[in-house]
Amino acid sequence: MKPVLNVILTHQPASAVAAMVAWWKKCVPPESILLACGGTRADFEAIPHAAKVFIDDPRLRTRDHQREQQSYGSVFREVAAWRGTPDYAHIHFAEYDHLPLVEDLNQRQLALLAEEHADVLGFHLRRVDATNCVHYLAHAAEPAFEDFWRKVTCRADPRVVLSMIATGSFWTRAAFEAVAATPEPHPMYVEIFPPTLAHHLGYRLRDYGPQTRFVRHLGDRVSEIEPARQSGAWTLHPVKSRWG
Amino acid sequence: MSFLARTVRRLVIALARSVGSKVVNAETGEVIGRAFVIPWRGRIAVIGLDAEVKPVFLPQTRMTYWKQDIGFVLHSPPNFPHEARPQRHPHPPAR
Repeated sequence: MKPVLNVILTHQPASAVAAMVAWWKKCVPPESILLACGGTRADFEAIPHAAKVFIDDPRLRTRDHQREQQSYGSVFREVAAWRGTPDYAHIHFAEYDHLPLVEDLNQRQLALLAEEHADVLGFHLRRVDATNCVHYLAHAAEPAFEDFWRKVTCRADPRVVLSMIATGSFWTRAAFEAVAATPEPHPMYVEIFPPTLAHHLGYRLRDYGPQTRFVRHLGDRVSEIEPARQSGAWTLHPVKSRWG
Repeated sequence: MSFLARTVRRLVIALARSVGSKVVNAETGEVIGRAFVIPWRGRIAVIGLDAEVKPVFLPQTRMTYWKQDIGFVLHSPPNFPHEARPQRHPHPPAR
Protein backbone atom coordinates (compact mmCIF):
# COMPACT_ATOMS: atom_id res chain seq x y z
CA MET A 1 0.00 0.00 0.00
CA LYS A 2 1.35 3.42 -0.90
CA PRO A 3 1.37 5.76 2.07
CA VAL A 4 -1.27 8.31 2.87
CA LEU A 5 -0.08 11.89 3.29
CA ASN A 6 -1.68 13.29 6.46
CA VAL A 7 -1.87 17.06 6.10
CA ILE A 8 -2.66 19.00 9.28
CA LEU A 9 -3.52 22.67 8.95
CA THR A 10 -2.51 24.66 12.02
CA HIS A 11 -1.94 28.23 13.09
CA GLN A 12 -0.85 27.42 16.64
CA PRO A 13 2.52 28.05 18.35
CA ALA A 14 5.29 25.46 18.34
CA SER A 15 4.56 24.01 21.80
CA ALA A 16 0.93 23.31 20.90
CA VAL A 17 1.93 21.88 17.53
CA ALA A 18 4.45 19.55 19.21
CA ALA A 19 1.73 18.17 21.49
CA MET A 20 -0.60 17.77 18.51
CA VAL A 21 1.98 15.93 16.42
CA ALA A 22 2.81 13.62 19.35
CA TRP A 23 -0.89 12.67 19.52
CA TRP A 24 -1.13 12.17 15.74
CA LYS A 25 1.92 9.87 15.79
CA LYS A 26 -0.16 7.37 17.78
CA CYS A 27 -2.67 7.17 14.93
CA VAL A 28 -0.71 7.55 11.66
CA PRO A 29 2.88 6.86 10.59
CA PRO A 30 5.06 9.77 11.79
CA GLU A 31 6.71 10.15 8.38
CA SER A 32 3.28 10.66 6.78
CA ILE A 33 2.56 13.90 8.65
CA LEU A 34 2.89 17.17 6.76
CA LEU A 35 2.12 20.39 8.65
CA ALA A 36 0.54 23.26 6.74
CA CYS A 37 1.22 26.28 8.91
CA GLY A 38 -0.96 29.34 8.54
CA GLY A 39 0.21 31.18 11.67
CA THR A 40 3.13 33.56 11.97
CA ARG A 41 6.48 33.04 10.27
CA ALA A 42 8.14 32.96 13.73
CA ASP A 43 5.82 30.15 14.89
CA PHE A 44 6.53 28.27 11.69
CA GLU A 45 10.30 28.51 12.11
CA ALA A 46 10.03 27.29 15.72
CA ILE A 47 8.12 24.11 14.88
CA PRO A 48 10.57 21.19 15.14
CA HIS A 49 8.67 18.86 12.78
CA ALA A 50 10.67 18.63 9.54
CA ALA A 51 7.82 18.13 7.08
CA LYS A 52 6.09 21.50 7.03
CA VAL A 53 5.01 24.19 4.60
CA PHE A 54 4.28 27.83 5.39
CA ILE A 55 1.03 29.25 4.05
CA ASP A 56 1.20 33.00 3.61
CA ASP A 57 -2.24 33.88 2.35
CA PRO A 58 -4.78 36.44 3.64
CA ARG A 59 -7.58 34.30 2.13
CA LEU A 60 -6.71 31.66 4.73
CA ARG A 61 -6.39 34.09 7.66
CA THR A 62 -9.96 35.32 7.68
CA ARG A 63 -11.90 36.22 10.82
CA ASP A 64 -15.48 36.04 9.53
CA HIS A 65 -14.76 32.91 7.48
CA GLN A 66 -18.09 32.73 5.70
CA ARG A 67 -18.51 36.37 4.72
CA GLU A 68 -14.84 36.75 3.80
CA GLN A 69 -15.03 33.53 1.72
CA GLN A 70 -12.18 31.74 3.46
CA SER A 71 -10.14 29.68 1.03
CA TYR A 72 -7.85 26.68 1.40
CA GLY A 73 -6.66 27.09 -2.19
CA SER A 74 -3.16 28.10 -1.20
CA VAL A 75 -2.99 25.18 1.24
CA PHE A 76 -3.96 22.73 -1.51
CA ARG A 77 -1.40 24.26 -3.90
CA GLU A 78 1.46 24.16 -1.36
CA VAL A 79 0.66 20.57 -0.43
CA ALA A 80 0.41 19.50 -4.08
CA ALA A 81 3.78 21.14 -4.77
CA TRP A 82 5.47 19.57 -1.76
CA ARG A 83 8.04 16.95 -2.70
CA GLY A 84 8.96 15.42 0.66
CA THR A 85 7.09 12.12 0.20
CA PRO A 86 6.45 11.84 -3.54
CA ASP A 87 5.06 8.34 -3.62
CA TYR A 88 1.88 8.80 -1.61
CA ALA A 89 -1.41 7.95 -3.30
CA HIS A 90 -3.94 9.58 -0.96
CA ILE A 91 -4.24 12.74 1.09
CA HIS A 92 -6.00 13.06 4.42
CA PHE A 93 -6.59 16.74 5.17
CA ALA A 94 -7.43 17.80 8.73
CA GLU A 95 -7.55 21.00 10.71
CA TYR A 96 -5.59 21.26 13.97
CA ASP A 97 -8.75 20.80 16.05
CA HIS A 98 -9.79 17.59 14.30
CA LEU A 99 -8.55 14.85 16.58
CA PRO A 100 -7.74 11.33 15.30
CA LEU A 101 -8.89 8.66 17.75
CA VAL A 102 -7.92 5.28 16.28
CA GLU A 103 -4.54 3.71 15.56
CA ASP A 104 -5.49 2.50 12.11
CA LEU A 105 -7.18 5.69 10.91
CA ASN A 106 -5.76 5.70 7.38
CA GLN A 107 -6.58 2.01 6.85
CA ARG A 108 -10.20 2.67 7.82
CA GLN A 109 -10.38 5.66 5.49
CA LEU A 110 -8.90 3.66 2.62
CA ALA A 111 -11.34 0.82 3.24
CA LEU A 112 -14.31 3.22 3.21
CA LEU A 113 -13.03 4.95 0.07
CA ALA A 114 -12.76 1.57 -1.66
CA GLU A 115 -16.17 0.43 -0.40
CA GLU A 116 -17.77 3.61 -1.75
CA HIS A 117 -15.74 3.50 -4.99
CA ALA A 118 -15.09 7.15 -4.21
CA ASP A 119 -12.36 9.65 -4.95
CA VAL A 120 -13.18 11.94 -2.03
CA LEU A 121 -14.69 11.38 1.42
CA GLY A 122 -16.12 14.37 3.28
CA PHE A 123 -18.08 15.16 6.41
CA HIS A 124 -21.61 16.54 6.05
CA LEU A 125 -21.38 16.20 2.29
CA ARG A 126 -24.60 17.40 0.72
CA ARG A 127 -26.05 18.94 -2.39
CA VAL A 128 -27.09 22.56 -1.85
CA ASP A 129 -27.98 24.09 -5.23
CA ALA A 130 -31.45 25.66 -5.38
CA THR A 131 -31.77 25.37 -1.61
CA ASN A 132 -31.78 27.90 1.21
CA CYS A 133 -28.17 27.00 2.14
CA VAL A 134 -26.81 30.43 2.99
CA HIS A 135 -23.36 29.78 1.51
CA TYR A 136 -24.94 28.68 -1.77
CA LEU A 137 -27.27 31.71 -1.87
CA ALA A 138 -24.37 34.09 -1.28
CA HIS A 139 -22.54 32.56 -4.25
CA ALA A 140 -25.63 32.37 -6.44
CA ALA A 141 -25.88 36.17 -6.29
CA GLU A 142 -22.63 36.29 -8.31
CA PRO A 143 -23.39 35.60 -12.03
CA ALA A 144 -19.84 34.33 -12.64
CA PHE A 145 -20.47 31.51 -10.15
CA GLU A 146 -22.72 29.44 -12.41
CA ASP A 147 -20.74 30.42 -15.52
CA PHE A 148 -17.60 28.97 -13.99
CA TRP A 149 -19.14 25.54 -13.40
CA ARG A 150 -20.51 25.52 -16.95
CA LYS A 151 -16.96 26.07 -18.24
CA VAL A 152 -15.16 23.45 -16.15
CA THR A 153 -17.70 20.68 -15.81
CA CYS A 154 -17.59 17.29 -17.46
CA ARG A 155 -21.00 16.45 -15.94
CA ALA A 156 -24.39 16.53 -17.64
CA ASP A 157 -25.79 18.98 -15.07
CA PRO A 158 -23.58 22.03 -14.43
CA ARG A 159 -25.96 23.38 -11.78
CA VAL A 160 -24.97 20.88 -9.09
CA VAL A 161 -23.30 22.53 -6.09
CA LEU A 162 -21.93 20.44 -3.23
CA SER A 163 -20.88 21.44 0.25
CA MET A 164 -18.91 19.70 2.98
CA ILE A 165 -17.16 20.68 6.18
CA ALA A 166 -13.63 21.68 5.26
CA THR A 167 -11.87 19.49 7.80
CA GLY A 168 -11.27 15.77 7.66
CA SER A 169 -11.55 15.22 3.95
CA PHE A 170 -9.81 12.22 2.37
CA TRP A 171 -8.70 12.37 -1.27
CA THR A 172 -7.11 10.34 -3.97
CA ARG A 173 -3.99 12.15 -5.07
CA ALA A 174 -5.41 12.66 -8.56
CA ALA A 175 -8.56 14.36 -7.25
CA PHE A 176 -6.62 16.50 -4.78
CA GLU A 177 -4.08 17.66 -7.36
CA ALA A 178 -6.78 18.37 -9.95
CA VAL A 179 -8.55 20.64 -7.46
CA ALA A 180 -5.26 22.22 -6.39
CA ALA A 181 -4.41 22.99 -10.01
CA THR A 182 -7.65 24.88 -10.66
CA PRO A 183 -7.68 28.43 -9.29
CA GLU A 184 -10.84 30.06 -8.00
CA PRO A 185 -12.15 32.48 -10.65
CA HIS A 186 -13.39 34.71 -7.84
CA PRO A 187 -13.49 34.17 -4.07
CA MET A 188 -15.48 31.07 -3.15
CA TYR A 189 -15.99 29.64 0.31
CA VAL A 190 -13.89 26.68 1.36
CA GLU A 191 -16.94 24.49 2.07
CA ILE A 192 -18.27 25.05 -1.46
CA PHE A 193 -15.36 25.33 -3.89
CA PRO A 194 -13.30 22.12 -3.35
CA PRO A 195 -16.19 19.62 -3.26
CA THR A 196 -18.08 21.27 -6.13
CA LEU A 197 -14.95 21.51 -8.27
CA ALA A 198 -14.01 17.89 -7.58
CA HIS A 199 -17.53 16.86 -8.61
CA HIS A 200 -17.46 18.84 -11.85
CA LEU A 201 -14.02 17.49 -12.71
CA GLY A 202 -15.66 14.08 -12.60
CA TYR A 203 -14.52 12.78 -9.23
CA ARG A 204 -16.91 10.83 -7.03
CA LEU A 205 -17.57 12.27 -3.57
CA ARG A 206 -19.20 10.42 -0.73
CA ASP A 207 -20.08 11.26 2.85
CA TYR A 208 -18.36 9.57 5.79
CA GLY A 209 -21.74 8.13 6.76
CA PRO A 210 -22.02 7.18 10.45
CA GLN A 211 -18.76 8.97 11.21
CA THR A 212 -20.31 12.31 10.32
CA ARG A 213 -22.00 12.61 13.72
CA PHE A 214 -18.59 13.00 15.35
CA VAL A 215 -17.84 16.12 13.30
CA ARG A 216 -19.65 19.41 13.69
CA HIS A 217 -18.88 23.07 13.11
CA LEU A 218 -18.94 24.73 16.51
CA GLY A 219 -18.00 24.18 20.13
CA ASP A 220 -15.17 22.46 21.93
CA ARG A 221 -15.62 18.70 22.42
CA VAL A 222 -12.53 18.18 24.55
CA SER A 223 -14.65 16.47 27.21
CA GLU A 224 -16.10 14.04 24.64
CA ILE A 225 -12.87 12.37 23.50
CA GLU A 226 -13.21 9.09 25.38
CA PRO A 227 -17.02 8.80 25.03
CA ALA A 228 -16.67 9.40 21.29
CA ARG A 229 -13.95 6.78 20.96
CA GLN A 230 -16.09 4.28 22.85
CA SER A 231 -19.00 5.10 20.53
CA GLY A 232 -16.94 4.16 17.50
CA ALA A 233 -15.53 7.52 16.42
CA TRP A 234 -12.49 7.50 14.17
CA THR A 235 -12.02 11.22 14.65
CA LEU A 236 -13.60 14.05 16.64
CA HIS A 237 -14.12 17.71 15.70
CA PRO A 238 -13.84 20.37 17.01
CA VAL A 239 -11.45 19.83 19.91
CA LYS A 240 -9.98 23.28 20.31
CA SER A 241 -8.44 23.36 23.77
CA ARG A 242 -6.59 20.01 23.72
CA TRP A 243 -3.23 21.54 22.75
CA GLY A 244 -3.32 24.52 25.13
CA MET B 1 -24.47 43.77 15.36
CA SER B 2 -25.50 45.25 18.68
CA PHE B 3 -26.35 43.19 21.74
CA LEU B 4 -29.99 44.20 21.43
CA ALA B 5 -30.18 43.18 17.76
CA ARG B 6 -28.52 39.83 18.53
CA THR B 7 -30.93 39.19 21.37
CA VAL B 8 -33.97 40.03 19.24
CA ARG B 9 -32.69 37.81 16.43
CA ARG B 10 -32.15 34.89 18.80
CA LEU B 11 -35.64 35.36 20.22
CA VAL B 12 -37.27 35.45 16.79
CA ILE B 13 -35.37 32.33 15.67
CA ALA B 14 -36.32 30.49 18.86
CA LEU B 15 -39.96 31.44 18.37
CA ALA B 16 -39.89 30.40 14.71
CA ARG B 17 -38.46 27.00 15.61
CA SER B 18 -40.99 26.37 18.36
CA VAL B 19 -44.29 27.83 17.12
CA GLY B 20 -43.60 28.49 13.41
CA SER B 21 -45.28 26.61 10.56
CA LYS B 22 -44.36 22.98 10.15
CA VAL B 23 -42.11 22.48 7.13
CA VAL B 24 -42.73 19.04 5.66
CA ASN B 25 -40.81 17.10 3.05
CA ALA B 26 -43.34 17.04 0.22
CA GLU B 27 -41.99 13.74 -1.09
CA THR B 28 -41.98 11.74 2.14
CA GLY B 29 -44.27 13.60 4.56
CA GLU B 30 -41.43 13.80 7.09
CA VAL B 31 -41.37 16.92 9.25
CA ILE B 32 -38.18 18.83 8.45
CA GLY B 33 -38.57 21.60 11.00
CA ARG B 34 -40.51 24.72 11.86
CA ALA B 35 -40.18 28.26 10.51
CA PHE B 36 -42.07 31.46 9.96
CA VAL B 37 -43.11 31.45 6.28
CA ILE B 38 -44.18 34.98 5.39
CA PRO B 39 -45.19 36.46 2.03
CA TRP B 40 -43.36 39.76 1.70
CA ARG B 41 -43.17 42.14 -1.27
CA GLY B 42 -43.76 39.48 -3.88
CA ARG B 43 -41.44 36.97 -2.22
CA ILE B 44 -41.75 34.41 0.54
CA ALA B 45 -39.45 34.89 3.52
CA VAL B 46 -38.46 31.73 5.42
CA ILE B 47 -37.26 32.63 8.91
CA GLY B 48 -35.56 30.27 11.33
CA LEU B 49 -35.56 27.04 9.35
CA ASP B 50 -32.70 24.80 10.44
CA ALA B 51 -32.51 22.63 7.33
CA GLU B 52 -31.49 23.00 3.69
CA VAL B 53 -34.61 22.62 1.55
CA LYS B 54 -35.56 23.21 -2.05
CA PRO B 55 -38.88 24.98 -2.75
CA VAL B 56 -40.93 23.49 -5.60
CA PHE B 57 -44.44 23.74 -7.00
CA LEU B 58 -46.08 20.47 -6.09
CA PRO B 59 -47.66 18.05 -8.58
CA GLN B 60 -51.49 18.04 -8.44
CA THR B 61 -53.66 14.97 -8.78
CA ARG B 62 -56.67 17.23 -9.52
CA MET B 63 -56.15 20.10 -11.97
CA THR B 64 -57.21 23.39 -10.41
CA TYR B 65 -56.83 26.74 -12.11
CA TRP B 66 -57.31 28.76 -8.91
CA LYS B 67 -54.72 27.22 -6.57
CA GLN B 68 -51.28 25.71 -6.73
CA ASP B 69 -49.07 24.69 -3.78
CA ILE B 70 -45.44 25.40 -3.11
CA GLY B 71 -43.78 22.77 -0.94
CA PHE B 72 -40.30 21.80 0.13
CA VAL B 73 -38.12 18.85 -0.79
CA LEU B 74 -34.64 17.69 0.14
CA HIS B 75 -31.86 16.78 -2.25
CA SER B 76 -30.78 13.15 -2.18
CA PRO B 77 -27.33 12.58 -0.66
CA PRO B 78 -24.65 13.04 -3.36
CA ASN B 79 -24.06 9.75 -5.14
CA PHE B 80 -22.71 10.69 -8.55
CA PRO B 81 -20.51 8.29 -10.51
CA HIS B 82 -16.84 8.79 -11.25
CA GLU B 83 -16.60 10.45 -14.65
CA ALA B 84 -13.16 12.04 -14.50
CA ARG B 85 -11.29 12.08 -17.75
CA PRO B 86 -7.99 10.18 -17.58
CA GLN B 87 -5.15 12.59 -16.88
CA ARG B 88 -1.43 12.13 -17.09
CA HIS B 89 -0.32 11.99 -13.47
CA PRO B 90 2.08 14.89 -12.87
CA HIS B 91 4.19 12.83 -10.49
CA PRO B 92 4.25 9.18 -11.61
CA PRO B 93 5.34 6.79 -8.89
CA ALA B 94 8.93 5.57 -8.94
CA ARG B 95 9.35 2.12 -10.48
